[in-house]
Amino acid sequence: MGGSDSVAPGAPPPRKEAAGRVRPRWAVPALAAAAAGAFLYFLPLFRVVSLKPPGAAANSTDPAEPAAFDPVAAASRFWQVDLPAAHARAADLAQVAPAIRANAEKARTQFARSAGLGTAYLFVHGSGKVVAREKNVLRLAPAGAETEIVVIRLGPVFGNTVRDGTGLLDVNNFPGLQEFNALSAELNALVEKNVLPALRDRAIAGATVHFVGCAEAPENAPDAGEPLFTLVPVQAEIR
Amino acid sequence: MKYLRLLRPFACACLAALSLSSVGSAAESKSAAAGRKVAVVISTLNNPWFVVLAETARDRAKELGYEATIFDSQNDPAKESQHFDNLISAGYRAVLFNCTDAKGSIANVRRAKAAGIPVFCMDREIEANDAATSQILSDNYSGCVALGQYFVEQVGETGKYIELLGIVADTNTWNRSKGFHSVVDRFPGLKMVAQQSAEFDRSKALEVLEALLQRNPDIDAVFCGNDAMAMGAYQALLAAGKAGKVKVFGFDGADDVVKAVAEGKITATVMQFPKTMARSAAENADKYIKGERKFPQRTPVAVELVTKANVKKFGDYGRK
Repeated sequence: MGGSDSVAPGAPPPRKEAAGRVRPRWAVPALAAAAAGAFLYFLPLFRVVSLKPPGAAANSTDPAEPAAFDPVAAASRFWQVDLPAAHARAADLAQVAPAIRANAEKARTQFARSAGLGTAYLFVHGSGKVVAREKNVLRLAPAGAETEIVVIRLGPVFGNTVRDGTGLLDVNNFPGLQEFNALSAELNALVEKNVLPALRDRAIAGATVHFVGCAEAPENAPDAGEPLFTLVPVQAEIR
Repeated sequence: MKYLRLLRPFACACLAALSLSSVGSAAESKSAAAGRKVAVVISTLNNPWFVVLAETARDRAKELGYEATIFDSQNDPAKESQHFDNLISAGYRAVLFNCTDAKGSIANVRRAKAAGIPVFCMDREIEANDAATSQILSDNYSGCVALGQYFVEQVGETGKYIELLGIVADTNTWNRSKGFHSVVDRFPGLKMVAQQSAEFDRSKALEVLEALLQRNPDIDAVFCGNDAMAMGAYQALLAAGKAGKVKVFGFDGADDVVKAVAEGKITATVMQFPKTMARSAAENADKYIKGERKFPQRTPVAVELVTKANVKKFGDYGRK
């Protein structure tokens, strides 16, 4: 019949490709689905991401993973061993206070330390008489610099003052910043647990507090009557 | 003629030597140029803060005598990887690097290191201590501790808030979030009703907060992991008629947000110092090229809380 296909009357004609082969009915939708799949693979409409922080591999069981950093153990070791041994290195507040009043910038150079281009901190020891007690704060007049005021917060301890104040801990000896910050939180918890309760209970107005502690070094001497700095005590004795 | 015939090979030899020496000197000058090339690879230039970081790094490298080129990774680790392929084959001497992924970018840094190209990270940390030559990083945690304390002062000890996180693969996102929560979580009356990533992006923050406000119309504050998101959040609040009623907190010290703090639109931000970080990274690269090899792996850079009370001290991505 001259090579032409015969078609039953009323039936739809079969689709022909250029080469004359019949294309199945499912081919076009299948190709479209494959193309759409490929498109969405490369350009997805949305991505599901975990809100788990990077480095949060504490529960990893992969033996190739390095041992997870334990901030509680690191803080405990520092608190019990390194910190008490360093108390003797703390500067005397009776010298630091007048130095700040005279020239805060020079006092920073002389007494404070900072890691890298970070905040400058003081590590000081001394004693002072409680001259006022407010909601979460003790105001002390330091021995040897009685006209000055130093504040001790009795409430929650925040930030890196204890971690960085002593100058004993270096971020480069830790796996990363997240671990170093976790250590900070644990050290603050140790201050709250071991030092602040006695101060809250017994440091009433007129009592004398002997302390070792850390503080952010002020950039400028404060106005008269304003505190020189806020101290986070790592050791305190009330008499 | 006879002499000329005899001279011909000599002349040819001279010409050949001349052309060879010119090729040699061209190659030398090309290699000298390559020897002075420094790459600045930046996570994104779709945020003015990173533009300042990139341009300051490039300009400081130029001041130090290098040919510096900026590569924009467009927040895409694959693009970042291509940039490293290109700069390794082009013989760059150093990379000033702001990564797209704290873990994923480590491989790029290691490839550069293996090719003898030192990498100096700026602002964003990679989670490895033996890949980059140095990492100069903002003390994000401390900044957000200060911001968290100010948040409690401003919002009070009770209230509802939303947190917009940055890119979840970036450690800055979590150092900021954890610093903030180390303070705010101590006040049980402060309830976080939603925490969602807007990827440090202004328009995503606008979209995300618009959606979250539908479910949480009675919030008191929004804490945003960067200033671009803070501006997006402010726009969403403005559209919802809540600007001024809901307090917005950002992080970066971007110029538009510092102005918004002065105008009372944004409650506070934290000034990072991108210029300090970029200059230090370029100077470290220069020292390395000149032979120095001892660099601290991580150098934290202090940040400062910016509020309406002290905003006059700040501007142009730093202190005035």
